Amino acid sequence: MTDVTSLLPLAAVLVPALAVPLILASGARPNLREAWTLLAAVGTLAVVAVTVRSPGTQVTPLGSFAGVDLALRADAAGLLFALLAATLWVATSVYSVGYTRGLGESGQTRYFAAFAASIAATMGVALAADLLTLFVFYELLTLATYPLVAHAGTETARSAGRTYLAYTLGGGVLAFGGILLVGVLAGSLGFVPGGVSGLTADPTLGRAAFGLLVVGFGVKAAVVPLHAWLPAAMVAPTPVSGLLHAVAVVKSGAFAVTRSVLYVFGPDAASDLGVALPLAVAAAVTMVFAALVGLRQDELKAGLAYSTISQLSYIVLGVALLTPLAAFGALLHVVAHAFMKITLFFAAGLVYVETGEKYVSDMAGIGRRLPATMTAFAIAAAGLVGFPLVAGFVSKFHLVLGAAASPHPAFVAAFLVAGVLKLLYFWPIVYAAFFGRRDRTTPASRHPFAPPHDRPEGGHGGAGSSGGRVPAAADGGYLRPTAWERRSPLAEAAPALLVPVLFTVGMAVLLGVVPTALPFWELAETAVAEVFG
Amino acid sequence: MIAGDLLALLVALPLLAAVVPLFLAPQSPRTARALTTLVLAGQVGLAAAVAWVAATDGPITYVVGGIPAAFGIGLFADRLTAAMVLLVALGGLGAFVADRSARDGPYLSLWLLLVAGLTGVVVTADVFNLYVFLEISGLAAYALVAHARGADAALAALKYLLVGTVGATLYLLGVGYAFVATGTLAMADLAPALAAAGHDSTLVVAAFGLMAVGLGVKLALFPLHAWKPDAYASAPPAVAAALAALGSTVAAYALLRVTYGVFTPAFFEAVPMVRTLLLAVAAVSVVAGGVLALREPDVRRLLAYSSVSQFGLVGLGIGLASPTALTGALLALVGHAVAKGGLFVSAGAIAREFGARTVGEYAGLARRSPAHGAAVAAMAVSLVGLPPTVGFAAKWYLALGAVEAGSWAVAAVVVLSTLLSLAYAGRLVERLYLGEGGSDPTRGPADPPTVATDGGRGDRWALAVVLVAAALVVALGLASTALADWFAPVVEGWL
Repeated sequence: MTDVTSLLPLAAVLVPALAVPLILASGARPNLREAWTLLAAVGTLAVVAVTVRSPGTQVTPLGSFAGVDLALRADAAGLLFALLAATLWVATSVYSVGYTRGLGESGQTRYFAAFAASIAATMGVALAADLLTLFVFYELLTLATYPLVAHAGTETARSAGRTYLAYTLGGGVLAFGGILLVGVLAGSLGFVPGGVSGLTADPTLGRAAFGLLVVGFGVKAAVVPLHAWLPAAMVAPTPVSGLLHAVAVVKSGAFAVTRSVLYVFGPDAASDLGVALPLAVAAAVTMVFAALVGLRQDELKAGLAYSTISQLSYIVLGVALLTPLAAFGALLHVVAHAFMKITLFFAAGLVYVETGEKYVSDMAGIGRRLPATMTAFAIAAAGLVGFPLVAGFVSKFHLVLGAAASPHPAFVAAFLVAGVLKLLYFWPIVYAAFFGRRDRTTPASRHPFAPPHDRPEGGHGGAGSSGGRVPAAADGGYLRPTAWERRSPLAEAAPALLVPVLFTVGMAVLLGVVPTALPFWELAETAVAEVFG
Repeated sequence: MIAGDLLALLVALPLLAAVVPLFLAPQSPRTARALTTLVLAGQVGLAAAVAWVAATDGPITYVVGGIPAAFGIGLFADRLTAAMVLLVALGGLGAFVADRSARDGPYLSLWLLLVAGLTGVVVTADVFNLYVFLEISGLAAYALVAHARGADAALAALKYLLVGTVGATLYLLGVGYAFVATGTLAMADLAPALAAAGHDSTLVVAAFGLMAVGLGVKLALFPLHAWKPDAYASAPPAVAAALAALGSTVAAYALLRVTYGVFTPAFFEAVPMVRTLLLAVAAVSVVAGGVLALREPDVRRLLAYSSVSQFGLVGLGIGLASPTALTGALLALVGHAVAKGGLFVSAGAIAREFGARTVGEYAGLARRSPAHGAAVAAMAVSLVGLPPTVGFAAKWYLALGAVEAGSWAVAAVVVLSTLLSLAYAGRLVERLYLGEGGSDPTRGPADPPTVATDGGRGDRWALAVVLVAAALVVALGLASTALADWFAPVVEGWL
């Protein structure tokens, strides 16, 4: 593909960036402010969509910084990530409006502004043409997401924010060291499909560079033992957890690892240096460990956080296996997981806004109250486990085949074990939601693995046990209700909350039934062809 | 001809103008202050003109009184000098306008003397003349620190005076040895003369050692740093800002000139021990400064320790002696001057407006003053060394230079210093934004101002200076390649 100089990649970064001052300026008029967010989201998606359809590879040189030429380059892998983030930002913006207004959150202007800044930084990470550009936007992403993590302003939130910063900026420092080494060894920092030359000249330094890059970027990709920030960051509002921590931030980490392994070192150099196997082992361990720990989480968002950690390792493992099929599966999984996980987070947030419940043990029988939401949850969870007809099956299929065809077929076991563990976590939740009872008197209402959290004694209804609001209880909430009120699917929640959930789960099903319908399949194919030749 | 006269004027203008406020101020303080501001602004204009000439026509030289440089006093300005002179002029003006409360004659005169002394150190081409101007700026600084009145200020000024004088005297001793070895004091003549005398001769090594230690005191490298936190914390806010931005910066420039212009890299090769020692001291400064800043509650003392750490980074660049590393040192110097000056101005304004002096008292102040908060955050980001600020560009060059030279320990120190600075700067910024307690509008300054206030206009100037500084750290970062190219002829000339 020939390089075409154009402003499109820069526009993809600038449109969300320009929304930031506009949002900050319209803080006093919430509807105008939300309009800016939605306009910017649609605009970014339009720009990225046009870039996908344009012939040739769009490049925007960004001038020189500290003696290195920076540029944005919309190649296949970058566009895959950018298109994903742009699509999900539209859905998340609508959802955010519903969520923040539904809960009456404070600091909404700062929230939406930081969100727009985070998306701008994500676009920069996706479309970076070289390691230094990627690093600049990577660090900007950390700075932009910090106010979102610490949004609530409580001591827990501030502490989570500090943990987040410590881990991610610490990882950034290590990645910086790796970038320096690559620069000195290879003489240039640009991404080349299949790897730059010169990195195998000095094996010790080459391995050190690989290690620094992968560990540094692996912090954001939540590879065990660098994952502790992710569950802590769940204190952030759910749309933040959804888009940023299940899509943008962690996917930036996984994406940066992918760039390092496939576009800086390349499959040949990585296997020559012998560094891919340790990475694959670390990913496999993370996969299983996180799934095991997640099994015991009663707080739904914590369980989803551990599931994210586990699923990200699918991507890292797929990349570390260094075969075209596994890499293809990994790239597809970037997309599939994003749609499924964001559906789950949206559903969790919707549950919290509508009923005040955060804990799985309190959600028995909630399918009566939120039928459409819990159906979407069930479908997305099925996809995560790997059931056919949902996006997760397609990506997992390729990952498992790729692992089987790689020099180390033992990793297939990791995928299968993790899948079973996820089934063990999600299935009881779904079953309890539809077949359980709110008073938890039947076995179906209790999760076999996740111990219920400590709840205050007495019958203070939903408000007492979860701290949230209970929709108008005629008796003042003294008696603990034994069943959720039944709602029809159209009336169960605010449209701003429900429509994005249905949209993302619909996309997950679409990608599962007709994977080639959206550009992601083609972009992943092109990327793999570029890298592996 | 004209260019040379500009150089002389650069020093003469503030020097001569310093006399006037002494006589003018008792009759009309406002005129005296206006005159001082005018002179400082004129200084900026002159500095810009010198920079223009140095960039277009090449280095400018001038001899005072027509006496040949070998015996007389020579002035010299290449691109680096021009950048430094501009920095001194802007810093002098910026810090001055940010605090409009001081109007007495001695203060204004001393300020002009300080600027004259600092400019003189930068443009001089004679090592003894450097000592003279170093002492002029030093004496002015000691007196300005004491201007705050009160026991703390007096003690801090005394400490600063003692330590500074010892440092300057050591430098003078070094100059003496160099003179004994070569018979000349002009930098241009000293370089070949020292080489002829033998770089590894005891006399020459002693000369360098004494000069370096003397300047190292002014730079506040560990373990000669103890005067800095006291001086910066007890000085009046404007003085602290000027000293933080310019005092050690000019001393670092002097060290660069002495090391590379007078002793040349050949000296490093002849006596490798010197290089190792310099790198070791600088590395320890980086770590010690950061560690000392971690637990420091007083904001200005925290910033002073941060300076110790940052000048350690500059020292590392000087010691590595490669073009990339030197470029990094120069960028770090400029970036630190702008960021630290801005942070001190901001600290002064916040102390005046909210009475907040410790990190704890800064809690939540970003809510009451969003512009200050954002500016402080931007400058803190530059101190930490994150993109796209000039601090990151400097660290990039420094670390790249270290890796290219194979100094892994130095590279590790540079890269890991980001984590240290993150710890102390992040603490400050986090408290500023997320701390509780800033939303109470009835809380005002803790102690009433002791001099006549100016009805709030001063704080608007302070805010303007702070915002300009914050914008500059980002702008210089984005233009870092251009800045590096600006310095390139000088760096290449040295190495």
